[in-house]
Amino acid sequence: MKRLFSEYGSLLVFLLLCGYYSVVTWSEQHPTNAAAGRSLAQSIIARHGVQSDTLIIVRDTVADRVFAKAISSELTELGGHVRETVFAKAPVDAGRALRRISSDDPLEAVATHHAGTQWGPLKVDRLKRLANQLSLPQVPKVHVPESYMWPSFLTWSNILNVFKNNADIAIIAIGMTMVIITAGIDLSVGSLLALSGVISAVMIQRWWGGEDAGLGGLIAGCLIGAGICALSGTLNGIMVTVCHIPAFVVTLAMMMVARGLALIIAVDYQSFLSGGGTKGTPEAVKIDHEAFGAFSNGELFGIPNPILLTLLLYLLAHILMTNTPVGRYIYAVGGNREAARLSGVPVMLVLIFVYTLCGAFAGLSGVMDASRFEGGRPNAGELYELRVIAAVVVGGTSLAGGEGRIFGTLVGAGIIAIIQNGLNMQGVATYEQMVVFGSLILAAAMIDQLKKSDWALRIFELPQRWIKKPRQGETPR
Amino acid sequence: MKCYRFVFIGLLLCGLTGCGGGSASSDGASNEAANSTVADAANAGGDSGSSAGGAADSGAGGANGTIGFSVLTLKNPFFKIIADTLTAEAEKQGFTVLVNDANLDVDTQAKHLDNYLSQKVTAIVLNPADRIAIGPAIKKANDAGIPVFTCDLQCVSEDAEIAGHVGTDNYAGGRQAGEAMAEVLGEEGGDVLVLHFKQANSCVLRVNGFTDVVNATNEKRADGKINVVAELNGGGLRDVGHNATADAIVAYPNLRGIFAINDPSALGARKALEEAGKADQVRIIGFDGQIEGKQAIKDGEIYADPIQFPDQMAILTMQNIQKYLDGEEFEKVNLITPKLYKKADADQDPDLQ
Repeated sequence: MKRLFSEYGSLLVFLLLCGYYSVVTWSEQHPTNAAAGRSLAQSIIARHGVQSDTLIIVRDTVADRVFAKAISSELTELGGHVRETVFAKAPVDAGRALRRISSDDPLEAVATHHAGTQWGPLKVDRLKRLANQLSLPQVPKVHVPESYMWPSFLTWSNILNVFKNNADIAIIAIGMTMVIITAGIDLSVGSLLALSGVISAVMIQRWWGGEDAGLGGLIAGCLIGAGICALSGTLNGIMVTVCHIPAFVVTLAMMMVARGLALIIAVDYQSFLSGGGTKGTPEAVKIDHEAFGAFSNGELFGIPNPILLTLLLYLLAHILMTNTPVGRYIYAVGGNREAARLSGVPVMLVLIFVYTLCGAFAGLSGVMDASRFEGGRPNAGELYELRVIAAVVVGGTSLAGGEGRIFGTLVGAGIIAIIQNGLNMQGVATYEQMVVFGSLILAAAMIDQLKKSDWALRIFELPQRWIKKPRQGETPR
Repeated sequence: MKCYRFVFIGLLLCGLTGCGGGSASSDGASNEAANSTVADAANAGGDSGSSAGGAADSGAGGANGTIGFSVLTLKNPFFKIIADTLTAEAEKQGFTVLVNDANLDVDTQAKHLDNYLSQKVTAIVLNPADRIAIGPAIKKANDAGIPVFTCDLQCVSEDAEIAGHVGTDNYAGGRQAGEAMAEVLGEEGGDVLVLHFKQANSCVLRVNGFTDVVNATNEKRADGKINVVAELNGGGLRDVGHNATADAIVAYPNLRGIFAINDPSALGARKALEEAGKADQVRIIGFDGQIEGKQAIKDGEIYADPIQFPDQMAILTMQNIQKYLDGEEFEKVNLITPKLYKKADADQDPDLQ
């Protein structure tokens, strides 16, 4: 039981948070799926009888088309009649269609969804006015599917969003966990992310033909972008090991250099686009290639690619850390560098390896970011280093080194993502969000300390001691 | 024994999440109140879809839906005014507003938009944090059939469909600033410094308008021309504007005028001039008309500001949303012309001391 808590404490917190936000986002949900369409059709028949004449009004979207099709097929099957299905691009289209269709022959029922009821033309007073103007015998009745209560936090689309949108943080956090286990730190990841995105975008646009780039060109561009970040990571590692400069200083310098380079490249490229006439502005370098967005925005088996990639990388990293000599070396270097060196661990190589890996993961995230926004953003990843470090620390990795688990970091990243998502959904301003985040990191650091020292233990044992002490005193020595 | 510390950890974290919830409910108290009226009105209207058939009768009494507003940054009073006015205006018309702060980051803003889609809001309003990179997120909203309105800043991504835009006519504002500069410098003309912020497209337009008027004025004159001697980065911030001005006075001792693209950088410039003892020699034209800028105009520290109307922007945006939902026609792009605001206006302004 005790062991379970210390091993899976952060997982428990994660589940608690999910529960908490499920309760506070408990609200009315308005379904627009095929099942809702069918039951809507049944209730229309129940209300108006088999001879009913129904107009279906939905928006011109993929989901709405499925919904409309379900209503119309179920209505027809039950013997009802569908006058027409209107796919409105905007509420104004719904109003026009309603006027045109009602003037032919008065309608009894209009089927739509909750979003449709928020449109002026489908509101009762407007329908009444329309009926008056056209002197119709009756006002058409608007029907929507039954709503139900459910936490909007716990919807499939929201859960996928949370994990997809924070995949970059989670992926960089793998590298950061390894760096922190070796008692180091890497502040350059956010800037490297931007550098990778910008370089990939410029490569694809300028040297591989932009729109017409082949798959090879796309992959080459991304590899160069991510590769340069990996090399920057290697440079970090060399500076830390060979030159004995503290990791904090090395990576702080790299953070500034990489951000500056990303901005320079982006501005130069904008200037190049305008024919060199004007100085560019630090805007995103747009990638015209249509398929490029599919890397981050596409999905496989209904799960977005970034989530699958994250899980795969975590699995590989877990195997690396638990089942290979490299993993044991990393822990050894973090636990006691001198002891590790004396036992024959190639300390220098191990350190260079972890910094390289961290840079490479930042580069990969940069490519993902460029794909997601269909352009390389020189301002991407600002303050990411702090969010990544927070995820690692919340996940139970000790900043002192030698301790930590890869899957703990995944849970840590999940906790941070979920807190932010929940606060956003409630519409809490960033002012309060910052307070909550700061407190969270502080709490995580306290837990870290609790594991090592036992000052809190003493506080809680005090009552026990008061009870036990007399007894101890009684026993003669 | 050791179990105690896990109890302690548990309590700590419960307290923490409770803390988050606490601040949420205190902040969103009005939101929650609005939410409950939404639900109540829906129930009263009888559209909650009872087995009888669920006719949607709600129309009167509030429940008009939710609007998601991703603000560029709540640290700048200008956008805070837009957010507050929009919220007040929307609540008057029976909408609930979710305000989220993008903190100048398009990544955060894209997350807000994704949240709005899974919450199925009625309409989305945003100040794009990046006029190109926000495109894919808006496209997703288009695919979900949720209308997107932009305010102040525009989105230029080609495939993103914007239902309506309200902003300031920054070019016209820049022209007003140029005219004010020509007026204050008089016949003699002289050296002028521009405190720029090129990252923002709106500021580029302002400076374009300014330089166009300056060039046109110069063409009419044989001598007494206005020379823009330098365009420095003022960062749109007090400290950056201060340092840039301090350097410029040394390089151009005969400086007679400064055009700063917003109030904070104009006030930074004023501070630098005071320190150099040149506050009387150099006149400043600002931009924005934030309260501190207006006060500086009243105190004679800034000569004039083309002022923007953030509250009008919010009101007009809300009107557009209402018109869109009602199926009425409205202007797709609506640029509000700024107004030149001088000491005479400031003396009559009831908001100033």
